[in-house]
Amino acid sequence: MPGDYLEFNKVTKSFGDVPVVRETSLQVARNSFLVFVGPSGCGKTTLMRMVGGLETPSSGDIRLEGKPVGKPDRRRGMVFQSYSSFPWLSVAGNIAFGMRYRNDIDNAEKARRVERYLKLVGLEDFADHYPNRISGGMRQRVAIARTLAAGSDVLLMDEPFGALDALTRERLQVELRLVHARERKTIIFVTHDVEEAVFLADRIIVFSKRPAKVEADIDVTASLGSERSLDVRESEPFFRMRNDILHLIRKETGTDH
Amino acid sequence: MWKSLFAFRGRAAPSVEITLGVVSAVGLVAIWEFAARAGLVASTFLPSPSQVLLAIWQMLTTQNLAWHAAVSTGRVWMAFLLAAAMAIPIGILMSSYRFIGAALEPIIDFIRYLPVPALVPLSIIWFGVGDETKIFLLWLGTFFQLVLMVADDMRRVPHEYVEIAFTLGAGQRQVLTDVAFRAMGPTLVDNLRITLGWCWTYLIIAEIVAADSGLGFVIWSARRFVKTPEVLGGVVVIGLIGLVTDQVLRALHKRLFRYL
Repeated sequence: MPGDYLEFNKVTKSFGDVPVVRETSLQVARNSFLVFVGPSGCGKTTLMRMVGGLETPSSGDIRLEGKPVGKPDRRRGMVFQSYSSFPWLSVAGNIAFGMRYRNDIDNAEKARRVERYLKLVGLEDFADHYPNRISGGMRQRVAIARTLAAGSDVLLMDEPFGALDALTRERLQVELRLVHARERKTIIFVTHDVEEAVFLADRIIVFSKRPAKVEADIDVTASLGSERSLDVRESEPFFRMRNDILHLIRKETGTDH
Repeated sequence: MWKSLFAFRGRAAPSVEITLGVVSAVGLVAIWEFAARAGLVASTFLPSPSQVLLAIWQMLTTQNLAWHAAVSTGRVWMAFLLAAAMAIPIGILMSSYRFIGAALEPIIDFIRYLPVPALVPLSIIWFGVGDETKIFLLWLGTFFQLVLMVADDMRRVPHEYVEIAFTLGAGQRQVLTDVAFRAMGPTLVDNLRITLGWCWTYLIIAEIVAADSGLGFVIWSARRFVKTPEVLGGVVVIGLIGLVTDQVLRALHKRLFRYL
C-alpha cells in the first residue's frame, strides 16, 4: 500500500541486550486503519509506542509527514487498555482534559468540542458521571473521545478493548469503524485477537515472535471492502483471512500441529 | 438476616454491624464494671469504668484536664504538620527523580529504624526540656516513615496516567501537579491519617520526659501516686481524641474523593 504519511525507516529496538524489534520498514497512508497482530510479547506494542514517542528506536527512525517523531505530543494520542481515563474527573472533564494544554482555542470552543465528542461516542447523558460509576466499555469511549478532542491526527490504541466482554467489545469495534470513517484519523491498533484485527483493519501487519519482524502485510479492504457491519464477521472472505492469519501466527509460535 | 453473620465471608447490613459493635463495647464495659464492683480485682489495679469516668470529671474540673489535652493536641498537630509539609514534597521528588531517591533512601531507611525513645537524651541535649524537644521527637517518629509512604504512593500512580498526559502535551511539571498528585490523593490522605495516629503514640514518650504539661505528664504524675483511675482516665481521653480525629479525617476523605 503506498503512502508516505507515516514512515518506519529501518526501525530497530532493544532493551539492553534483548532485541525486541528487528529492522522494520513500513509506509502508512493517511487516514488508514492499521492493525498490528502477532504473538503476545512479540514487540508490536513497543513499535507502536515508538510512534507515540513513549519509546525511542535504537536505530532507524519514524517520520510523520517527513519529520522524525520526537517527544510525545498531542498529534499522536494514546488509548490504553486500563487506566485509560482519570478517575477524579467526570466524563466531560476527561474529554476536556484532552484540550487542557492547548492555548490556541478558547474556552467556548473547548466546551463546544466536549459536547461534540460526547455526542460522537454516545455519552451525552453521562457527562457528569465519574469513570468508576460507568461500564468498562463507556470508559474506553471516554478515552477515544478525549484523544479526538485533543485534535490528535494519529490514534495509537494498545489493546483498548482487551478487558471488555465479548458483546461490548463487538459493539465498540463497530463504533470505532464509524468514528474512523467520520473523523478521518490514522489509527494504529494493537491486538492479539485476530478476529478483531480482521474486522477493524484496512491493513493488517502480522508480526513474528520476538524480536518482531513483519511476517505479512495484508490489505483487508481489498477483500472485505471498507463498510464493516456485523454481517462481515460471518462472510466467507472474513473466515478465510482470519484462518490464514491464525495459521501464520501458530507457525510462528510453533503450535501449528 | 443473622445467619449471614456466621457464613464465611458473609455480608451483613450496616445497621446490624453497628448494633453488634455497640453491644460488644457496652458488654465489655459492663463485664469490667461488674468485675470491679464484685471485688474480683483490686481497684488499685483495675478501677471500675464508673470510677474512671468520675476521675475524668474531677480532672476536668480541678486539674485543667482540658488545657492539658489542648497542649498535647497542639504538640501533635505541630509535629504532624511539620512532618507532612516536609514529607510530601520530599517523598514525591524521591520517587519522581531517581537521583534524589537514590541519594536519600539509604539515609532515611537508617534513621527510620532508630527507636524514638533512644533519642530522648540526645534531643534534650539539643533542644532542652521545652516544647521543641517534644515536637522534635514526634516529628522524628513520623517524618521518616511518612516520607517513604509518600514516595510509595507516588510510585504506584499508574504509568498510563503519566503517558496519557504527556501525549496530550503536558510538560513535566504539569504531569506532576495535574495528574500524579491528583492520582495519589486518596492514598496520601489515608497515610496522613495513619501517621497522625502514630504521633499520638510518641506523644506519651515525649511528655513523660521532663514535662509539666500535656496528657502524658498527667498520666505519668498520676502513676506516681498510684491514682489508677486518673491514669486510665488520661488514657481514655487520648483514645477519645484519636477516635474523633480519625472519624473527622475519614469524613474529609469521603468528601474530597467522592469519585471513588
